[in-house]
Amino acid sequence: MTEELTDRANEGTSQAQEAPQAPEVLNEYRAWLIGIAGWLVPGLGHALQRMWGRAGVVFLAVGLLVITGARMKGNVFTSKGNDAFDTLGYVADLGTGSFYLAARALEGNGADVSHAGGDYGTRFLATAGVLNLLAALHAFEAARGRKA
Amino acid sequence: MSAVGGLTLTHIQAFLFFAAVISVAFGYLGRRQPKDRLKYILWSFFLFLAVGVAIGWAMYPFSR
Repeated sequence: MTEELTDRANEGTSQAQEAPQAPEVLNEYRAWLIGIAGWLVPGLGHALQRMWGRAGVVFLAVGLLVITGARMKGNVFTSKGNDAFDTLGYVADLGTGSFYLAARALEGNGADVSHAGGDYGTRFLATAGVLNLLAALHAFEAARGRKA
Repeated sequence: MSAVGGLTLTHIQAFLFFAAVISVAFGYLGRRQPKDRLKYILWSFFLFLAVGVAIGWAMYPFSR
């Protein structure tokens, strides 16, 4: 009888562990929303969690890199790439979220990578995207309570 | 080195700008306390410069 009760109790415990609680599911959705918001608008993921310092720094860092890269006539890649490197560049540039559109607007007359400055600009734009993805991932993890 | 009609930065300016921006971002994302952040930012900035200069010298024999 005691064993049966113990088995039932263990069964109940394992079911409770397997079935996610409602607040946990909500927290998971919230974390995903924060991660996506952080990707779309650099720093927003941290701002939603009241991490104002991090939000400001991410916004400024990504913004500065995008503006500098575009004004140096770096290459803002599009989906119509010629090879795998163009596609990789496009994915990296897309990492800046809404700032990608700003980069396209700032680029104006197109890229000029015949000079080292344009080449540096291309790297600045790609770095801005990767940095923003890293920041969005950090915000996502912080929202899940894993890191802060 | 220069972009026609756009922003012009020398190699060293671009290098310093990149190192500074990324170091500050890493410092804020990686550490919580202001003192720890400052130490991380300075150390990261120094490493960016040191590694950049080292790679530059490592490529020097192949530049001509």
